[in-house]
Amino acid sequence: MKITFPYMGSTIIYQKLLELLGYEVVMPPRPTQRTISLGVKYSPEFACFPYKVIMGSYIEALEAGADTIVTSGGNGPCRAGFYSEVHLRTLRSLGYNVEMIVFDNFYREPLRFIRKILRLKGKNSWNHVARVVSTTYRMAHAIDSLQKMVEYNRPYELERGSFTKVFDTISRRFEVEVKTVADVRRLQEQGLRMIEAIPVRKPPQNQRIRIGVVGEIYMVIESSINMGIAELLNNLGCEVSRSMYISEWVDHVLPSFLGGRSEAAIAQKGARYLEIPIGGHARNNIGNMVHYREQGFDGIVHLMPFACLPELVTQSMAPVISGDLGIPILTLAIDEQTGTANILTRLEAFIELVKNNKMNCAHARETA
Amino acid sequence: MRVGLPSALLNPFYSVFWRIFFTELGVEVVESGPTTKSVLDKGVRHSVPEICIPIKIYTGHVQELLDRGVDLVYIPRFVSIRRGDTFCPKFLALPDMLKCTIPDLSGRMLTHHLTSRNDDIATLSNYQEIGARFTSNPNRIKAAIHAARDQWLEFRRLCYSRDYNCQTANAKLAGGKDLKTAPHPVRIGVIGYVYNVYDGFISMDILQRLTNLGVRPVTFEMLDENELRGKLRRDPKDLFWTFSNKLWAAANMFFEDPAITGVIHVTAFGCGPDSFLGKVLALEALKYNKPFLTVRVDEHTGESHLQTRIEAFTDMILKKSPESVYSKTERIS
Repeated sequence: MKITFPYMGSTIIYQKLLELLGYEVVMPPRPTQRTISLGVKYSPEFACFPYKVIMGSYIEALEAGADTIVTSGGNGPCRAGFYSEVHLRTLRSLGYNVEMIVFDNFYREPLRFIRKILRLKGKNSWNHVARVVSTTYRMAHAIDSLQKMVEYNRPYELERGSFTKVFDTISRRFEVEVKTVADVRRLQEQGLRMIEAIPVRKPPQNQRIRIGVVGEIYMVIESSINMGIAELLNNLGCEVSRSMYISEWVDHVLPSFLGGRSEAAIAQKGARYLEIPIGGHARNNIGNMVHYREQGFDGIVHLMPFACLPELVTQSMAPVISGDLGIPILTLAIDEQTGTANILTRLEAFIELVKNNKMNCAHARETA
Repeated sequence: MRVGLPSALLNPFYSVFWRIFFTELGVEVVESGPTTKSVLDKGVRHSVPEICIPIKIYTGHVQELLDRGVDLVYIPRFVSIRRGDTFCPKFLALPDMLKCTIPDLSGRMLTHHLTSRNDDIATLSNYQEIGARFTSNPNRIKAAIHAARDQWLEFRRLCYSRDYNCQTANAKLAGGKDLKTAPHPVRIGVIGYVYNVYDGFISMDILQRLTNLGVRPVTFEMLDENELRGKLRRDPKDLFWTFSNKLWAAANMFFEDPAITGVIHVTAFGCGPDSFLGKVLALEALKYNKPFLTVRVDEHTGESHLQTRIEAFTDMILKKSPESVYSKTERIS
């Protein structure tokens, strides 16, 4: 059994999990233009962009010899819950003899969920499984906490590219060296020291521009698809906080008895605009817009795949929310047609506006 | 008190119930009527560009009603009408979204949650609160629900008889023309949401066009609800949107039914659930070796493209069918 999985965020985490369980893992390649072209070719025209990218990366992984796909499912209302069904049918119709292990909502069909866990557990002892899961879980948190530091501090680096270089080195070391929890701890400390050693020049607090990035999970997490939005914004001189990281997503999908934490507090902040949850992360995104405003952020970038169902609702509401909260919001719809130059131009214009807005507000406060 | 009923989205399926319910409560009901270019333009002005065409149309109908000066516009929030099922996120957020996109709507929206175990939404728990806004007499609310439900069940019975579809059944119940479906022997399954198929502006009356071409269209609302549900249990994983599930089940019944000679999927530009449903249907049709046509409709108004495509499709089917006039004349010659 050669296993692969969808490409999203720090993929070394899933790779690590499956490798430590003793499986042969076919790493899906980082999405490129070829991945996207393949995905677009074999996907329905109006499928959402993440579906197409994942389609392409499945095909590439199968070409590389994978025969089993492990992925998460869902039960709506967002289309992502039905991805696996359509992916599987399409792949089979293309002649790939592939099997899919889909983890759906635990509470909807607990027995099926457990059967699939047992299948992946294989001959490993529960003890070993617990150790592996805890190691990879901590690794996800460690990597994400380092990445957050990078996204806060990168705008102030003296030499362009030094944070990115250091972070890449750390990620590679995680990939190669991690076997136990102790490795994770050691690498996290070393990573922290390496990041802190990078020379920076920080402007005074009131001149820093802070941007919150919210949106559909794949667009927010997957840098190969969102044009590296965090780095683009960093290079424009802005601190960035993303509303979603892989480790947090894991926390939120885990049942509470396994240590999952609900996002209720954030979602509640969005309840004023959305009475009931509508699938995807729409309510959380609105909640996060409110949350970022409360934390004194200067602007919000809202990312969505073209024609994303829940995020279209968020987009429809964005002008009103922006007006109510008094914070600029830029919605960017991303799909296979998007180019970096387009996004960059719009971001530049947006950041100018945000800076101006901040200056005017400060000025108004001084004169008042 | 005048309450507006937007003639869009699920209205063709539930208008009988809503109209009678509000009328029984002594409320004047104003319906926005068929979609027109001006209604659509209003919708486009008040929606984000990428959103699907049915939502743009609904937005247009709401604005139209507000422009006509109704006191309230009835915009129900469909939450779930089958256990475990839900609706497309845009339905779930409809009142919230319109509140943001239509400034005139502020304070003039009549909304509530609709939850039930099946299509029959006529329960006291759904409508008590709404009714209480117009009368303080609980018996009157119950009577209104009851009267409206009776007519709605009659509407469903007409559809089940297969002599009527949503549109013609509505017309008959409203005392309009009695248009029974023409008894052509060759049948085609038409898969599509009521808000696409029965919006003449969007689908350009595809059902009438098919009838004129000498085939008899069969739609999901004519199929027995229990049979439809039976189809869903069998599949490894069904969809989670109620009406998409109905279409999925209906399509499977059409594929398996030898009396149905072809299937047409009518879908709107930008429909999310349909992007997947359509793909799965196309793959299934191959398996059953059934002729399958996808018709994607949008706000463009040229009709020759539609006519050409369905003509080609029906020609092909009629040529294959032993019962059709076409092949009989051919055999004679």
